[in-house]
Amino acid sequence: MKKLIVKSILYVFLILIVLEGLVRVFHLGKDTPTRFLDEYKVEKWKPNQNGFSVTGNRRQNFSEYHINTTGYNSYREFTPTKDKIEVALVGDSFIEGFHQNYYNSIGKKIENVIPEIEVYEYGYAGYDFADQLHLVHSYASQFDLIDHVILGIKFSNDLTRAEYQVVNSRLALESPINKMLKKSKLIVYCKSIGILDPPQELMYRLINIFKPKKKTVAIDEAETLRIKKENEEKYLANFKSLVSKYGYDKKRFTLLLDSRITSPLFLSYLEKNGFNYIDFSASFETSDRSTTLIYDRHWNNHGRDIIAKNITQYLRDINFIKN
Amino acid sequence: MLFNSLDFFIFLPVVFVLYWFIFYKKIQVQNLFILIASYIFYGLWDWRFLFLILASTVVDFFIGQTIYTNDSTSKRKAWLWVSVIFNIGLLGFFKYYNFFIGSWVDFLSVFGYELKSTWTLQIILPVGISFYTFQTMSYSLDIYYKRLTPTKNFIAFATFVSFFPQLVAGPIERASNLLSQITAKRFFNYVQCTEGLKLILWGLFKKVVIADSIAPIVDDIFLNYNDYSASTLILGVSLFSFQVYGDFSGYSDIAIGTAKLFGIELMSNFKFPTFSRNVAEYWQRWHVSLSTWFRHYVYIPLGGSRVSKLKSVRNIIIIFLVSGFWHGANWTFIVWGAIHAALYIPVFLMGRNRIYMNTVVAENRWFPSLTEISQILLTFILVTFSRVFFRSESITDAFGFLEQIYANFSYETYQHPLGYRMIDYFILLGLFVLYEFRIRRDERAPFKFKSKIVRFVAYTLVILGMLLFFDDNIDRSFIYFQF
Repeated sequence: MKKLIVKSILYVFLILIVLEGLVRVFHLGKDTPTRFLDEYKVEKWKPNQNGFSVTGNRRQNFSEYHINTTGYNSYREFTPTKDKIEVALVGDSFIEGFHQNYYNSIGKKIENVIPEIEVYEYGYAGYDFADQLHLVHSYASQFDLIDHVILGIKFSNDLTRAEYQVVNSRLALESPINKMLKKSKLIVYCKSIGILDPPQELMYRLINIFKPKKKTVAIDEAETLRIKKENEEKYLANFKSLVSKYGYDKKRFTLLLDSRITSPLFLSYLEKNGFNYIDFSASFETSDRSTTLIYDRHWNNHGRDIIAKNITQYLRDINFIKN
Repeated sequence: MLFNSLDFFIFLPVVFVLYWFIFYKKIQVQNLFILIASYIFYGLWDWRFLFLILASTVVDFFIGQTIYTNDSTSKRKAWLWVSVIFNIGLLGFFKYYNFFIGSWVDFLSVFGYELKSTWTLQIILPVGISFYTFQTMSYSLDIYYKRLTPTKNFIAFATFVSFFPQLVAGPIERASNLLSQITAKRFFNYVQCTEGLKLILWGLFKKVVIADSIAPIVDDIFLNYNDYSASTLILGVSLFSFQVYGDFSGYSDIAIGTAKLFGIELMSNFKFPTFSRNVAEYWQRWHVSLSTWFRHYVYIPLGGSRVSKLKSVRNIIIIFLVSGFWHGANWTFIVWGAIHAALYIPVFLMGRNRIYMNTVVAENRWFPSLTEISQILLTFILVTFSRVFFRSESITDAFGFLEQIYANFSYETYQHPLGYRMIDYFILLGLFVLYEFRIRRDERAPFKFKSKIVRFVAYTLVILGMLLFFDDNIDRSFIYFQF
């Protein structure tokens, strides 16, 4: 029995080491850059990091990222001046674009069509509208030099806050224990493919075993509608609050949104109050191919092409550039 | 509790350690502990159906004693019928009741009678009922045929009926093999345990990597067969052949391996059926415990092959139809059984049904001959064709599937429903077939390599395969649980 236990432990240990090596050699697990909070309490990536983002068990999506000196994933440095024409894209992971090679990002696609402009992508996973406006407000001197700013917004989850606060749960990912775990590519890989979910759920169940269970209350259609309406009003109020608190230049700023998932109340408010927006819903709807990745809901290369085309067309429509 | 769940990976080591460290001193304690563990194992799925297992156990325990102590043949036979009717009654009620009612309604509708009330029941099929009822029946039958002396130890008998590694999907054991091991004290055996662990690993690979990874493709093709061309439909049913093999043989390997950890040897259930050279050999290699059961308790009592050719053919038809019906309460399974009878009878009439017994393809050679390859391919094609009925939801769907192959006889490139690379699956299956061919001589030793390093590499690659093809979002239950 002792021999069985000792040999089993030894085999498991050796297999784990070899698997760690194989995951590294074939680059099955993703790299995660380090994040930090700067002097303005803006959360961003530590500058000058490189790595690879991987999705799927078998590297179904594999792309390289490069964090520039400003702390965002981009092939270029952000050096706005009065002489050049710049456009900033501000948003969450969709703008951040870890799912595509940094040298083939939305910004680069726009630049390929309009070579005379520089596109700065201020994308960061989890940024909501409060994060975005706080960033623009904190770096006002830089953003004042940028000729046009496009802010990506998803109505249902980007307007849950009325003012900016540091998101500690995201920064907790930089805790010593998480940093240590991230050193094992095998753990990162196993976590990304969901193999560690059952043990995590079990731990959660065990921790909460003695906690009284919340009673689930059945909600009827009228109640659902009431909650939806309440949320829509709250999100609209949050939008107003954020705009008034951090400032919003209606001439230079444009929202990027999908009207299919945006409240008509919000759209009507934007239109009545002169907030410009780019709605990419029609081009996504008429697309003959999938616009998202296999393994997650982020835009694939085709989706990004559509977004770049929409932005380019918009810039032409407002005569931001000639031709 | 599923073998491929986290619950089982906690349950198994705990039971293993308690069994060998705490409850190992006395045979009665060993058995009582295994019995409790087995009831927990089953009860975690649905504790209410434990009463069915208990009822089946109690009935056959006492009937076995009664048959044994009775000298009168008619009384022995009467008691045997009580056991058979009770067990078949359980099966009939839980598994076939709705089928019979539905078929009766359909039958009447042919003559213009429309029944408004159909008295169907909203009942779920208790997992493993087809397996443990057959196992307990075999006990009474063996005593009736005087092949077995009944045990007086109820705990040992209850352990035989509910032994958790094989409770829900077999192998269906005969009492002469399993009960004799349960009534003897087990001692820890290092070699047996390592063999068990290796079988568990290989079984998991077959389940997680082969069966589960191709399941979404098969589901998509069978669900939307009207939209696909012949090439895709043929791909779908061929992949289903691998899926059902990986699923069920994987389960059996885990069951046999788990039993080994407790010092019990279960019979082999799959002996590389993919490499069968004719349909008769296929049935000597596929679901062996069920085939053996039907041979012992249906085919031989009917006269087997020792009667006239015509009666032998009748017997073959009966066991294949019954075997098909055992799989599920659906006409599709009966047609599937009939197809196998139709494939088996020519082999039987040509006297080639036993020529490959106890031999493997490419015996003493590295590669099979061209004749063997063509035989294997032909058998695979025939068996795969029958699986259209096995997999389809209804007879209409099965014929629709076949009609679509004929009507849309063209080639198209199939896209995975979730957009994954199809080439990954073709490479995987190619490697799997080659590996199974390499180990084809011994189904109980999937990692039989002399070199420790090669063995270690094989373990690592198998685990890596599980990571590469693990899918968190699919239904991980075993196909044969529904039977």
